[in-house]
Amino acid sequence: MKSYLTTARLKPPGFLILLLIIVASCTTTTVDEFRQGETGIESDESVVVLGRRQASDYETRSEFVECVGKRMARGDGAISIVPERQFIDAMFPWFEPRTAPLRTRDLEQLMVEDVVARKMDEFGIRYIVWLDGVTETRDRAGSLSCAIAPGGGACFGGLTWEDDANFTAMVWDVGSFSTVGTISADATGQSFMPAIVVPIPLIARVEANACQRLADQLKQFVNGS
Amino acid sequence: MVIKRITGINRLVVINKNMYFGMAVLLVALALSGCGVSNVVIEGSFPTPNINKIPVTVAVYYDDAIRGFSYLEYSETGQEEFNIESGQSHMELFNAVLPAMFDRVIVVDNLEDARAEGVDAVFAPAIEEFQLALPAKTKLDVYEVWIKYNMRLLTAEGDYIADWILTSYGKTPTETFRSVADGINEAAVVALRDLASSFSLSFGQVPEVRDWLSSLQS
Repeated sequence: MKSYLTTARLKPPGFLILLLIIVASCTTTTVDEFRQGETGIESDESVVVLGRRQASDYETRSEFVECVGKRMARGDGAISIVPERQFIDAMFPWFEPRTAPLRTRDLEQLMVEDVVARKMDEFGIRYIVWLDGVTETRDRAGSLSCAIAPGGGACFGGLTWEDDANFTAMVWDVGSFSTVGTISADATGQSFMPAIVVPIPLIARVEANACQRLADQLKQFVNGS
Repeated sequence: MVIKRITGINRLVVINKNMYFGMAVLLVALALSGCGVSNVVIEGSFPTPNINKIPVTVAVYYDDAIRGFSYLEYSETGQEEFNIESGQSHMELFNAVLPAMFDRVIVVDNLEDARAEGVDAVFAPAIEEFQLALPAKTKLDVYEVWIKYNMRLLTAEGDYIADWILTSYGKTPTETFRSVADGINEAAVVALRDLASSFSLSFGQVPEVRDWLSSLQS
């Protein structure tokens, strides 16, 4: 009751902005886990998170891969994560878009190469997590007009769009050359950009939410909890 | 000294004149930046491949065409838009890859030097074709680069050993604050890494090269 009265006293634009912030923060995230094998990791073992870049029309952004890796490496049950760029450069040319193993059988064949097995051992890699996905923007609507004059500039109007981040993480056990599980995260959210003189972007953080939820789930999964 | 005497409305006039002048300069600069060709020099770092070395001595010869290789991209109206210089980065790539592939690698300026060094073979790469796809033209959210090479392997005397075509491809997604030049550079670096990986892994599988390596061992 108290909060309603406080809100009702706000002027219409203020109320509208508050409402938009509340709506914009409403990102829906769904995480699905499919376990195919037992997991667990020792303190001297590590995980590498890699992005899939074989698709012709998109590629998994390295920033998303980095986000998942960093989040898995901190907090309760933190896991030792080898940075993607460091791993790919050290393994060059075996994990490039055209040469990276697509199936666990390919990884088994790859590990026959002494140089690959030795590097993998140096890093202490127990699991490889393959991230595949993209964030798409759809249902764009509205219009925004901006004008610049000698005295200054102003924008009027409003834009809205929906972002959908859909990512899948496949976990490979390097010890047994098998897929031990698949976790998918789907986050959707509506973004707004109202403009009354100054445009105010109210962005739904779908990719950040997908990263957070996916990383937390992966951390639990790898730890076997 | 003059500024101190300006008061009230006069000061406003001076400010407005300065503002108009600034805006005019900005507009002229913007208009000029829309004309002419933008130069993009491909820059990147290339890791050393983790592969088993082939026990041969190879001389590498970069001709003037590859040393100064550049590609000119035209706009849809036929105007020169981007001049992409990648000769230097190609040489840097081969200089990083070849020493990991062969026991000994030397760079020579001509075939006589290769003969004097007593090398087993001379490697002379050539760029046959370079293609660029920009998001503004393809309407896709990626920058793409294709490069077609003619890889030539000769004896120190200049006789033919092998001659094969290799293609490489690189793409990078568009990003909000990424310039077109950065997008082109990133896609070209991915294409160069693709060249390095396919060249280093497929070298021994080229039939003529395989036969030549077998003849050296026998």
